[in-house]
Amino acid sequence: MTDDALDPLIHVPTRLKIVATLAALPDGDTLSFTRLQDMIGLTPGNLIIHLRKLEEADYISSAKTSNGTVSITKVALTGHGRAALGAYTKALRHLLGGL
Amino acid sequence: MNHTSDTTSAGNGGNFAPRQAAALLDQTTQQARRKLAPSPPWLLATRAVAVLAALGAIWLSVRGQHPYKGPTGADSPILVAFIVLNFTATVAVRERAMAGVRGRTRLRPAEIAILVVAFAAVPVIMWALAAAGVSFALYPTTVLIVPGLAWAAIMGVREGWRGCSMGLAVAAVGVVGAFAGPAGSWAVAGVGLCAVLLGKAVAVARRQRG
Repeated sequence: MTDDALDPLIHVPTRLKIVATLAALPDGDTLSFTRLQDMIGLTPGNLIIHLRKLEEADYISSAKTSNGTVSITKVALTGHGRAALGAYTKALRHLLGGL
Repeated sequence: MNHTSDTTSAGNGGNFAPRQAAALLDQTTQQARRKLAPSPPWLLATRAVAVLAALGAIWLSVRGQHPYKGPTGADSPILVAFIVLNFTATVAVRERAMAGVRGRTRLRPAEIAILVVAFAAVPVIMWALAAAGVSFALYPTTVLIVPGLAWAAIMGVREGWRGCSMGLAVAAVGVVGAFAGPAGSWAVAGVGLCAVLLGKAVAVARRQRG
């Protein structure tokens, strides 16, 4: 097995951190954009770029809610994203076991 | 720390080696689990020691009473301080960990209402049992039965089997205390709750390590 077996969408340090952080939440929970940003330590612009890529692949879902004055963006890992991380982890273990 | 900065800000993995990826995945997962844990192991272990100390101190003061009169005036500040500190620390740590988290982990209003009713029912049930002449009506362990069962039911409905087991364990401590006598029930409450909290601390720590 080679590095090509690793999902290129997840096999980027920042996106790996995003997906791993969201995977730590139980199924059905969401994390606010600001808390995710705080936990990963990215600028908002950089985080948005990576989230957009993950959302396009249906690995994460995001929703914006507003209570009139404050709007909050909530992010969650989808079932597809959780499965992709599982497959990535499996491939990584297989790859390292074979080294 | 085996951190690799993302030089390809929105692109591919570049020279991101699998070993680095594995280290980063492991490190990020553990950090996230620690930061998002509403009841971290250190808090659970601290609460376990505190409950053992507080209830143990009361047991030491009542075990020589013949006949049993209950905790003395000097014991009340210990109990009140323990309850206030325990509640404050638990809420503060939970709120910090759950900042920005929404969804199933948070208790729904109906579940909070069930817990409030369960705690409010405790003095009523104890009074009713005392009126009926039941020996363990005013034991400290009797306080644990209804809230323990309520928590187990809420967690059971959510299919949160660890939380359900914890609720049942708390209720079991309450039942065992009923057979320990008025003074002994303080020791049962202290040791039992300490064991339940330490058990949960170990389970959470194991989960955080993956």
